[in-house]
Amino acid sequence: MNFKYFGLVFFFFTTLLSAQKTEYSSLLIPDSLKQNANAIVRLDQIDIVIASQRSMNIKEKRVVTVLNEKGQNAIDAYESYDKRRVIKNIQATVFDAFGNEIKKIKRKDFKDQSSVDGGTLFSDGRVMYLDYTATQYPYTIVFESEIETSTTAFIPQWFPLSDYLLSIEKSVLNVSFPENLGFRKRELNFSNFKIKTTADTSTQLSYLATNILAQKEEDYSPNISKIFPRVMMGLEFFNLEGVDGNAKTWKEFGKWWSDKILTGTEELPEETKAKMKTLVGDEKDPIKKAKIIYKYVQEKSRYVAIMEGIGGWKPMPVKDVDRLGYGDCKALSNYTKSLLNAVDVPSYYTKLYGSKDKQNIESDFVSQQGNHIILTIPNGENYVFLECTSQDDPFGYQANFTDDRDVLVIKPDGGEIIRTKKYENKDNVQVNKGKYSLDDNGKFSGTISMVSEGSQYGKFHIVTTPPTEQEAYYKEYWGNIGNLKIDKTRFSNDKEKVRFTEDMEISADNYWKISNGKMIFVVNAYNQYTGSVKRIRNRKNPFEIQRGYYDVDEVSISLPTGFSIESLPQNFELNTKFGEYKTEIIKKDNNNIVYKRSLLVKRGLYKNIEYDEYRLFMEQISRNDNAKIILTK
Amino acid sequence: MKTNLLAIILFFLFFYSNANAQDFRLGKVSVAELEEKEHPKDPSAPAAILFKKGEVKFKYDENNGFQVLTEVKTRIKIYKKEGYEWANQEVRYYLDNQLDEDVSFSDAVTYNLVGGKIEKTKLKSDGEFIEKINKYWGQKKITMPNVREGSVIEFGYTVKTTITSFLRDWYFQSSIPVNYSEFITIVPEYYEYKSNQKGYLTIGRTVEKSRGSFTINSKERIEGQMGVTKTEFSQDKIEFQETRTIYLGKDLPAIKDEAYVNNMDNYTSSISHELSMTNFPNTPVKYFSTDWESVVKTIYNYDDFGPELNKTGYFEQDVTALLSGKNSQNERISAIFDYVKNTVKWNNYKGYSCNDGVKTAYKNKTGNTAEINLMLTAMLRFAGLNANPVLVSTRDNGITFFPSRSAFNCVIASVETPEGFILLDATEKYSEPNILPIRDLNWIGRLIRKDGTSTEVDLMPKMISKEGTNMSIVLKSDGSAEGKLRKQLTNHEALWFRKENLATNKDSYLEKLETNNNNIEISDYVRENDLDLSKPIIETYAFKDSKDIEVIDGKIYISPMLYLVDKENPFKQEVREYPVDFGYPKQEKYNININIPEGYAVESMPQPLNIATGENVGAFKYVIANTGSSIQIVITKDINTSIVQADFYPVLKDFYQQMTDKQNDKIVLKKI
Repeated sequence: MNFKYFGLVFFFFTTLLSAQKTEYSSLLIPDSLKQNANAIVRLDQIDIVIASQRSMNIKEKRVVTVLNEKGQNAIDAYESYDKRRVIKNIQATVFDAFGNEIKKIKRKDFKDQSSVDGGTLFSDGRVMYLDYTATQYPYTIVFESEIETSTTAFIPQWFPLSDYLLSIEKSVLNVSFPENLGFRKRELNFSNFKIKTTADTSTQLSYLATNILAQKEEDYSPNISKIFPRVMMGLEFFNLEGVDGNAKTWKEFGKWWSDKILTGTEELPEETKAKMKTLVGDEKDPIKKAKIIYKYVQEKSRYVAIMEGIGGWKPMPVKDVDRLGYGDCKALSNYTKSLLNAVDVPSYYTKLYGSKDKQNIESDFVSQQGNHIILTIPNGENYVFLECTSQDDPFGYQANFTDDRDVLVIKPDGGEIIRTKKYENKDNVQVNKGKYSLDDNGKFSGTISMVSEGSQYGKFHIVTTPPTEQEAYYKEYWGNIGNLKIDKTRFSNDKEKVRFTEDMEISADNYWKISNGKMIFVVNAYNQYTGSVKRIRNRKNPFEIQRGYYDVDEVSISLPTGFSIESLPQNFELNTKFGEYKTEIIKKDNNNIVYKRSLLVKRGLYKNIEYDEYRLFMEQISRNDNAKIILTK
Repeated sequence: MKTNLLAIILFFLFFYSNANAQDFRLGKVSVAELEEKEHPKDPSAPAAILFKKGEVKFKYDENNGFQVLTEVKTRIKIYKKEGYEWANQEVRYYLDNQLDEDVSFSDAVTYNLVGGKIEKTKLKSDGEFIEKINKYWGQKKITMPNVREGSVIEFGYTVKTTITSFLRDWYFQSSIPVNYSEFITIVPEYYEYKSNQKGYLTIGRTVEKSRGSFTINSKERIEGQMGVTKTEFSQDKIEFQETRTIYLGKDLPAIKDEAYVNNMDNYTSSISHELSMTNFPNTPVKYFSTDWESVVKTIYNYDDFGPELNKTGYFEQDVTALLSGKNSQNERISAIFDYVKNTVKWNNYKGYSCNDGVKTAYKNKTGNTAEINLMLTAMLRFAGLNANPVLVSTRDNGITFFPSRSAFNCVIASVETPEGFILLDATEKYSEPNILPIRDLNWIGRLIRKDGTSTEVDLMPKMISKEGTNMSIVLKSDGSAEGKLRKQLTNHEALWFRKENLATNKDSYLEKLETNNNNIEISDYVRENDLDLSKPIIETYAFKDSKDIEVIDGKIYISPMLYLVDKENPFKQEVREYPVDFGYPKQEKYNININIPEGYAVESMPQPLNIATGENVGAFKYVIANTGSSIQIVITKDINTSIVQADFYPVLKDFYQQMTDKQNDKIVLKKI
């Protein structure tokens, strides 16, 4: 009897199991993968088949278990498409925590939308994406897609760990390719991760990554592309939006780009050529001529991006830019190049990554890279780089966007990798000279002149903001001064010397208050370091200070009469590998003191264990910047 | 005397001709306009709309009936590079075939002054783009050629549509100055619109009546003698009366964004039109929304509102089981509310109309605001409660100033009790009865009863949200402090906290907490009632703080709130144009006890303070006492209203300054 029942129960249990996809159950995930994770990639299998120079097929099956609402992004269920990139299949299935199927999402249920970003006026690119509302956590989603494209110039890079707080159970890449297309690859940041190369032959490349644990994001970390594993891939014989190409070296790549992409776009109307010649007149120096032309372009043009087909790569014809007065980075750089050419100044179309975060063109991996175009002008042994999309950058100004990185310069005889201008720590300087006085009603009044250069010059944009925003900016900047009033502002922007000066008159009622016959106030009124560096327990990643800076202050302070100095802050000095800090107070007489301060923060890449030292360095600065004077009546 | 009179006449002549120098027709750009270097009234403006004229008219077409044409003509002056974005224009339209909507640009020209002469550059097809945004919307875009600092651009566009239920909104004001804005509607007697004007500026309005006509061609087959049929064509000229309304705004300043504003659209000068009546020959008069009652009735009668509310079959079994043993009103409300919150998730779409319907939403466990809250209302009714839906305009949709169907964009649920209304929104999982998500807190909603009648409901919270902090600090002579803190958050403060932090893992939360609190070191962190919404969020932890105490020449300086002190007044700007919106009334209270290190005594302490703003907006109380080796401080800060009018701003700013100053006052300890 008992035996019989057992059989029945067992039977029931097995049928129940077969209705589930146990592999998609969230219950069996090891705790180690859940640690710090908002989502877990259970499986990400990407199969890339390159059939020929003009045909590539990409299949993806991505299974993600989402643990909470912050893990939603990890689903990554979207595909872009256009005329030459077709989505052959796109679908998804959702499973609950037990692996029971709860929803099927078909192609027609995906959202279909034009993929125009903020900076682009028009693009023929479109995107299909999944907009799924989670009804419970955890859940597992299986996303499947297939893409067919004729453009083989980009093989999507393999980037199994694409975010923080995401762990990987299993990630697989399989690429197959004909032997004769010159397939190549570059592996980056593999060292600290469990990645197995399962095939590496003349027609096949496969990797397997398993059990990569989720990482927390840590402040000042280098970009994830510099610390997480990835594989870049490329072909020697490729196709870009219908145009065949081949390149083994940067030289060849540049030559092809010049011949196939740039040629035919560069013709300038004779009238404009003549106009440029008149404009430069008798000037012989190529750099001085370039300055004149650059100014002309800045006044005449504006940035408008239009991306259609090969237009995403090929600059709009120069004669159109001349007629319409607008274009994107490609068009405006190419246009400036043609104008310079008309006055016999050579210059080169230059591909690079434009971003605050410094990113190189991977110099030992010849392939289509970069997201921005600038123009390079040879200047003896050196180069000058022009940002042609800006209407107000000084000639050759690069800080914060295209500085200090490897770029691809396309010269007539081919491409070449060079390094852009580096702004040294002390190039990024701000010199503050000023004074302030305090009266016995507690009123602060002062004047200050702040001169900024290098990366700190970047703040010159404040000139063009509306007055209300300027006011808000300074009230934030001097947030340490309560009741702040901006009485007078004068800016001068020396584009020639790349130097921006702010002359300010400010005042504040009740900057200090007498309590019990004492007056206490912070000496360093104008330039307090008020930031704070977060404490991070067990930091894993190295940290990077991408740009150094140097601040020098000298402020004369007049104290109200009828008070005597009870206490002055001590002089203070710090010297570390991260930088130098020094403050000094000089007592001139009973009512006049001079405050001197200098702070140098050095650019650098440091080990994880050095982070706490850096934090303490900045904390001491913050503390000392808050040092106070005490006066007694 | 005579000369004076002459001067006056001359002045008027001059003035007249000067005013007339600007020609508000496309193509008539003047040298003066091109020469202008900055806007005379707003020198900081990057661009200005010199004129903008819109005309709405109705055109009859035998196949389609009446079509609405909106013709817009604009002239814009670009002063600075920052104004270049005005050289790119876009107009949206519905892609729905039945609506037959279309946009076409015309007469787009850029004018520049080159060597004292006007140079014209026309927009060609390479500057015009059509974009399909998604299934519902298309968009035409133009980018003007040859634009520089100083350019004047002109363009016209026409929107053609068969939608007559509303006219496109007209904005008189913009983020740049508008010198002249004219909007004309020419409406045949068959249609009547209700117009709603917003904003603080005066817009002129004149009305004229005139005659209009259209022709209908008809053919009729007439059976003649001897079986011969012939077709007779006839033309009927139909005459009707037209109402022409002209709205005119001049010298409208740029609208500027400010902090703590609910939604700038509430204050921008604009006009909207909604169909109130149709009266076609040989057809009964049809009325549409003109007052709140009929707006509500119209919405109630929509297929995807009222009927959805009356469906119950799909949940009856589940809800009956849910309610078993629950008898009190509050038990029943919270059982149903929690059930809906936990089973049906919001898909982030707002609306008062169901999309897939309540049944499908219930089955799929996901739905929009209407599906979720109508389902909730239906279940509450099923449980025998006096429940009704409440139409709401969320903050991003603007305040419901005028009766119109588009005044609302959302619906929530309510239960009427002898003690008043209980408002519920099940789209926010951390919300509680009468603690609505911030997006719903937007002045007034409209409750609809079963019989279709309606009543106003005040959405602004009356309940005070509290943040209570108890802190005990043990101060050491080296200038460091160790202490314990207990913090309690209720109502909206708790809702906000849960939304913001519950999904964050503990380590990251602690890092954030330390960083936001001047880098104190936190240990023994415990949090209670994360998911027990009926109780406040309670956090307790121990801390070490060495940065908020100063030792100078053997004396210890400390502000009693340590790292909790507000260092800056949040209100910085000198003048305020729009009301300040706090969202909900709030009380912050601090009970602080400081233990003085041995060998030290109080040299001086801040004075107590007790201030209030008047009009019951805010109050602040600071009480401090020293007994032996300890100091006790009690600080209470009350903001009693949700919205503070702009004219009260100086008082508010000053009130915040006094609070900030007092919190930063120091206790001074000296060695004994």
